[in-house]
Amino acid sequence: MSAPTARIGVDVGGTFTDLVLHDARRNVVRTGKLLTTPDDPSEAIVAGIRRILDEAGLAPGEVHSIVHGTTLVTNTVIERTGAIVGLIATEGFRDVIEIGREIRYDLYDLFLEPAPTLVPRHRRRTVPERLDAEGNVLRPLDEGAVREAARDLVEREGAEALAIAFLHSYRDPRHERRAAEIVRSLYPDLPLTLSSAVAPEIREFERTSTAVANAYVQPRMRRYLDRLEAQLTALGFEGRLYVMLSGGGIAAVREAKEFPIRLIESGPAAGAMAAAFLARLAGLDRVVSYDMGGTTAKMCLVEDFAPHHKFDFEAGRVRRFVKGSGLPLKVSVVDMIEIGAGGGSIARVEEGSGLMKVGPRSAGAKPGPICYGRGGTEPTVTDADLLLGRLDPAYFLGGEMRLDPDRVRRAFAEGVGARLRIPATEAALGVQRLVDETMAAATRMHLAEKGRDPRRYTLVAFGGAGPVHAYALAKLLKIRRVVVPLGAGVASALGFLVAPPASDMVRSYVARLERTDWAHVNALFAEMAEEGRRLLTEAGADPARIALRPSAEMRHVGQGFEIPVPLPSLALGPADLPAIRAAFFASYRERFGRTVEEVPIEALSWRLACSAPGQDIRLDAALGAAAPARADAAAARRGTREVVFEGAGPLACAVYDRYALAPGARFAGPALVEERESTCVVGPDAQVTVDSVLNLVMDLP
Amino acid sequence: MSGADTDEGFDPITLEIYWSRLISIADEAAAALLRTAFSTIVRESNDFATVLMDRNGDSVSENTGGIASFSCILPRTTKAFLAAFPPETWRPGDCVITNDPWLATGHLPDFTTVSPIFHRGRLVGFAGSIAHSPDVGGALWSADCREVFEEGIRVPPMRLLREGRRNEELVGLLRANVRVPDQVMGDLEAQVTANQVCAARVAEFLEDAGLDDLQALSRALGARADRAMRRAIAALPDGTWRATIEADGFDEHVTRIACAVTVAGERMLIDFAGTSPQVDRGINCVMNYTHAYAVYPVKCALDPFTPRNEGSYRAIEVTAPEGSILNPRFPAPCSARQLTGHLLAGAIYKALSTVIPDRVIAECGGAPTMRCLFSGLDRNGDRFSQILFASGGMGASPHRDGLPTTAFPTNAGAGSIEAFESVAPLVVWKKELRPDSGGPGRFRGGLGQEAEIEVRAPGPLRLSLLSDRRDHPASGILGGAPGAPAEITISDGTRPHPKSRTTIRPGARLTMRYAGGGGYGDPRERDPAALREDVRNGYVSPAAARSAYGASE
Repeated sequence: MSAPTARIGVDVGGTFTDLVLHDARRNVVRTGKLLTTPDDPSEAIVAGIRRILDEAGLAPGEVHSIVHGTTLVTNTVIERTGAIVGLIATEGFRDVIEIGREIRYDLYDLFLEPAPTLVPRHRRRTVPERLDAEGNVLRPLDEGAVREAARDLVEREGAEALAIAFLHSYRDPRHERRAAEIVRSLYPDLPLTLSSAVAPEIREFERTSTAVANAYVQPRMRRYLDRLEAQLTALGFEGRLYVMLSGGGIAAVREAKEFPIRLIESGPAAGAMAAAFLARLAGLDRVVSYDMGGTTAKMCLVEDFAPHHKFDFEAGRVRRFVKGSGLPLKVSVVDMIEIGAGGGSIARVEEGSGLMKVGPRSAGAKPGPICYGRGGTEPTVTDADLLLGRLDPAYFLGGEMRLDPDRVRRAFAEGVGARLRIPATEAALGVQRLVDETMAAATRMHLAEKGRDPRRYTLVAFGGAGPVHAYALAKLLKIRRVVVPLGAGVASALGFLVAPPASDMVRSYVARLERTDWAHVNALFAEMAEEGRRLLTEAGADPARIALRPSAEMRHVGQGFEIPVPLPSLALGPADLPAIRAAFFASYRERFGRTVEEVPIEALSWRLACSAPGQDIRLDAALGAAAPARADAAAARRGTREVVFEGAGPLACAVYDRYALAPGARFAGPALVEERESTCVVGPDAQVTVDSVLNLVMDLP
Repeated sequence: MSGADTDEGFDPITLEIYWSRLISIADEAAAALLRTAFSTIVRESNDFATVLMDRNGDSVSENTGGIASFSCILPRTTKAFLAAFPPETWRPGDCVITNDPWLATGHLPDFTTVSPIFHRGRLVGFAGSIAHSPDVGGALWSADCREVFEEGIRVPPMRLLREGRRNEELVGLLRANVRVPDQVMGDLEAQVTANQVCAARVAEFLEDAGLDDLQALSRALGARADRAMRRAIAALPDGTWRATIEADGFDEHVTRIACAVTVAGERMLIDFAGTSPQVDRGINCVMNYTHAYAVYPVKCALDPFTPRNEGSYRAIEVTAPEGSILNPRFPAPCSARQLTGHLLAGAIYKALSTVIPDRVIAECGGAPTMRCLFSGLDRNGDRFSQILFASGGMGASPHRDGLPTTAFPTNAGAGSIEAFESVAPLVVWKKELRPDSGGPGRFRGGLGQEAEIEVRAPGPLRLSLLSDRRDHPASGILGGAPGAPAEITISDGTRPHPKSRTTIRPGARLTMRYAGGGGYGDPRERDPAALREDVRNGYVSPAAARSAYGASE
């Protein structure tokens, strides 16, 4: 038998476990979906793999690798079901995680619930030790105190995991490492996180918070991954198991066990990677990826076929969509905004202003929108879509669920409509306009912060509700082209199969450019390169094809915000200064539209992005061999339905069967294109063509 | 219920969409300002605001973060600009500025900038921003000046830009009067950029919406906000409630804030008659600032969720006797006016505590803010100036303990100590919660904190202190006890003047103990389980659990 070539992606979500299988040799793609088994997620994974292999006619031994994404880490933080963690910190800094940034995340709410603290004060110990900002020892580590603190936390407080976070350990980890040796000599198997290992970056609150969160999720993730590996082995799987990191790269399981916090955005990252892949296939170098589901809409900029990244994230927010209400984490994540706008978002009339609001509260899957008939009583975005004719009551989820438009009409007429004194249809149109405007506003803001103009971008829309709202959203953003891939449900899972082995390294060292010790910087890069190569090789990369991209976080002396600046090489010296300054000003101008030349520049952190090429898959295979041959849109037409459009009233729309549309087909709006998991709404002034990989390409005037 | 009669023909859906859009325009302007500002006070202390106004200078929308009170002041300043520069004199590309305390935000360090918005060739509104400047010359960071003239350069309403061209004479004069001219000009440019962003987006919005101007929309939104506040006030019984609070003030001049809150139907009057007279030290609080810090706490308590604009505060009247510390006559010094203005929320909530006991909080340890500023030369001979941002505890509420180390009514954040030490020759040996500093109560006041800072510069540094609450801790409410007072000591055993400018020598350590918040309700009614947790976590010592809460064990 030749080397195995089949690869499987598994995404464990809160409700469903999604699988996708691709075998390059036999050119097959299979997808599968089953209910998540929350008590032991590996159960559904193993059952799903068994099923998908059966369907594909493959044996477990023929699987080259499995890429796994999971919401287990994020759920552990949100549900507060992690380990009992003890923290050892620098004397005088016991309360760094509780004091935090000292802000109120809502200026007008007098009764704010504070952002979460994963380690209560009675499980935080301090020990005498201190480095200064240059890494010099101001006070040696009191080893006896470390021993005593560890014993106390483990034996008296019952700590199941420990975190160590000392001041300035990003600059020199020696005290943290020595303390770790002491702890390990006492408790060799105790999960232990060092802040200098998980997030070697300046700013003690964010670094300590990351270390604590890592310790908090580590025991559960270790148990889970150990069990999964054992079960896969028992199944006869002999290939490699990888995990999807929050930044959209894949990594070996060992990294996931050591730094599970890097999986905090494991699932959503796959969607962005899928959008990047679709952008590459379609040759679109400037894309806004738009994924709208039941609870949220997620937007992400994809430029030159890669999603934007950022290096901090907030988890476990007290208020999901309010910045500052959660735990700050220093991890590399896909830079995505999450908006409280989904199919389940609820419409209501606000007491004070007497005006209508939509979201962020969501009816979720249970009770769900009113039209599901499962007990939902508050009108949602999906209900409005139904009332306006965008959804077919008989063909929701391919006809699996019958929707109840009469009940929805009554709810709109008697609820928000009556309160605002407007008819039901107008209220429903209002819901649609509000949710679209909310998404547009957040997207505009996100792009503006990066100095980008939405008019130059293409919208790639997926998720169950994405294609329904893409046309209106594009109009608001003045985006002129929308691309809707086939199979809203499959699109996101493709991300697992195309993601490259990748990892982002960082070290902090603060210096003004003209006084930088370049030998030190080069040593940091060498260290990061070595670590990156090791991690990527573990994740299956060909060492010869690993690309290393250095950059630095810089600012003017006196400013508080750093901007990323690409660097020319890993071996820098004073001769590179003019190029580095030029790169800084270019990055500054791109964001802020101007430069201030006189003020000196400093660097805070040095980054190395390491990646290897991802796998390509052939999408025609992904779509199944059943693609129709005729490029005639009329053949795919299956009726007419009336849809209410803003400013145009009810219009008769041609309804097309998505699965019957072949490459080259063309038609004009107003129209609806229906597939199992979604409906694409085409406005009256839009034109659609079907491209070679069966994307709907919608052009707006 | 419905506001159709005052909606100026806008349907309620469109009104909500337009309102949100205009708020996000102000937010986008704020983002542009924040990202390019040099001022650490803008960044760490959120000392800024962006406001979109109509042609009359009435606020239409304001940014979501920032300092709430500033947004309330900006339209007033704009109306002063309109008096100096009538509407027909404005041209596209203009920008008018001032830092006059009486016209603007109450002290010189804040620059207000306002730019006109044109649409289809007509003036349709104004984009404004306020930001705390890195420097305005004079006695930076002081509370001890005798007249405003000592406190820095004062710029009356003047054009910084005329049709896009810089007023080089004004710029030259400004640069010559400040310590860090590049940063000061950089921040003014950031404000101009913010205004430009706002103006461009508004023009785009009007085009999209097919509107000629903002006037009808502004009236409709103002009416909605006004009605929300009136309805909230009307829900209270009619009557007058009084309260008096005290703070350290300056030396023998204890600050006494007397306030009478009158509810009459759907209107509220807040009168500060009986308040201390103005003093010849920099803690006087001009009427603009008094007004802003009086209406903000009312908004939080009565109508927190309706967006703000000109209409929000129309139903509330604020008065203070001329010549009082809350309405001083020119040229009273006022650089540290926050030391007085931040106190007003506590006085107003105390007055309303029997009327709406479930909607007010006790006095806050972080009101007023406490700041120490170090400046001088570092080891490279570079000049530095560094402020430690940290807050006392918030007052307890009827629903939960006060937040530790959180400022109210301002919203000053705190930065990283590692970042602080990497740019200044200072070592912070301690920054930790301060046990027993939260005022005992059924709900406990938020804990303050203790910071210890060692000077490691080659020579002595200048130390500026702005603080209060040494002799007047944050009081409790409805039976709650006061929080711990503020304390400032130096390692040589001295206690520096809490509002002073002195020098501090290398090797000396400054200890700052930030005040705790006041408690809410009788401490003996505190849930015993909550008290046990407090003791277990060291928020409350076993001794205090017995003495202050009457715990038996």
